[in-house]
Amino acid sequence: MASPRQRAARWRLVQYAVLAIVLVAALLLANWGELKRAMFDPDIIREQFPDVITVALKNTLIYTACGFTFGLALGLVLALMRLSSVGPYRWIATGVIELFRGLPALVVFLALSVGVPLAFPDREIPFGNLGTVTLALGLVGGAYMAETIRAGIQAVPKGQMEAARSLGMSHARAMLSVVIPQAFRVILPPLTNELILLTKDSSLVYILGLSYQEYELTKFGREGMNTAANLTPIIVIGLCYLLITVPLSIVVRRLESRAERAR
Amino acid sequence: MTTEKRTSATAGDARHGAAIDVRDLHKYFGDNEVLKGIDFHVDNGQVVCVIGPSGSGKSTLLRCVNMLETPTKGQIFVEGEEITDPDADVDRLRSRIGMVFQQFNLFPHMTVLRNLTIAQQRVKKRGRPEAVEVARRNLAKVGLADKESAYPAHLSGGQMQRVAIARALSMDPDMMLFDEPTSALDPELVGDVLAVMKDLAAEGMTMMVVTHEMGFAREVGDKLVFMDGGVIVEEGLPSEVLANPQHERTQSFLSKVL
Repeated sequence: MASPRQRAARWRLVQYAVLAIVLVAALLLANWGELKRAMFDPDIIREQFPDVITVALKNTLIYTACGFTFGLALGLVLALMRLSSVGPYRWIATGVIELFRGLPALVVFLALSVGVPLAFPDREIPFGNLGTVTLALGLVGGAYMAETIRAGIQAVPKGQMEAARSLGMSHARAMLSVVIPQAFRVILPPLTNELILLTKDSSLVYILGLSYQEYELTKFGREGMNTAANLTPIIVIGLCYLLITVPLSIVVRRLESRAERAR
Repeated sequence: MTTEKRTSATAGDARHGAAIDVRDLHKYFGDNEVLKGIDFHVDNGQVVCVIGPSGSGKSTLLRCVNMLETPTKGQIFVEGEEITDPDADVDRLRSRIGMVFQQFNLFPHMTVLRNLTIAQQRVKKRGRPEAVEVARRNLAKVGLADKESAYPAHLSGGQMQRVAIARALSMDPDMMLFDEPTSALDPELVGDVLAVMKDLAAEGMTMMVVTHEMGFAREVGDKLVFMDGGVIVEEGLPSEVLANPQHERTQSFLSKVL
């Protein structure tokens, strides 16, 4: 009979062995030459630069930042409306949230790009495609963030509002200085998730019909793939997405641990 | 400052000199009547301690004074101004009434100094240098001058409560309300907070204190109010009420806590 300690050691050994076998099998069995030709062609990689950064990555960042900023503002307004004592505000907010949370982002993009020009033939959404993408991403993101922000506000203990009011602050001032800053500490992780989701959703902008200077990463990658008849451009833009999202996660983790210390 | 004492409620305008004047106050939570007609006043410079079993309505009474709870019926005058008037500027009146909570309710995302300056700047519209000066003076007063850049999470309960007192004092209030200020503290930390409150009373601050600290009530209080079941059962000089309670409910409560 083996002791529990021996059994645990043996079990750990088995786990390492499985991992090693899988890795070795992948290494030996994969057709590396073919893979390299179809997905990691150095010449094609070189061709992607500098435009993949100066055009595509830049535009993805701009679209996401605009959409997220508008969405955050909209989400905050919707959250406060949901918590309002005025009935119609609550109903409107609930309706907007349910609508844009339930619709696929692609449908929202289509509705805005086709529906708005039909409804208002003499007007245009300002700033062209950037305006449309800001609106569409903002509506989708805002609807999600509204519920997150509302939950965050409700998670702040009631005593915080009472203490602020007892010092003579108005309800609005107490919200702004005391409750909302604490709410945002709580909801930093889910908001980061939303930002990462929006980064990827920004690829739906292709539906608007873009000029080359407006290409974002996914559109750029697809065009590159078609031109080169090779998957390499997709790998390049995939890495570019990670270039955005991984540092973002690291920054937020830092912010979280800092907020934790202040708590 | 008046030392005049009145014992019975009079009709008409607010009693002159009364810092807090509560008349026929009723408060319902749903169908539950928590306050059943309270008549009560605190004179300027007086320290009034309110005692009673839990659920007696003493905290609700205190919270009605600065309108954290809205009374169902009745009037409350603060320095002669009716805070229960629907047209009253409640925010302005609250800024003159300091409040200290059982759970401290410090703002955890701000340093101690910022806790003390934010309302001064946002409500009293003081400039930052003046607000900081006032804050430092009050921190020194509660013996925490060295903690101004700490966050509340790094303080002990007793320190947090003293910061909360300093925060309220930084608004230069006319009176202070204390809602069981030592009930959430470890026993060895209670003394520090009570000492600060004693100093405050000695300076002539008007205070209304909901408490279980009978020693504090006896030593510092000018008046002791015993509440039970939403009414004031008995009130009078603390030494007399504690030594010689007239009402049977007061006797039975005191026999359990003393």
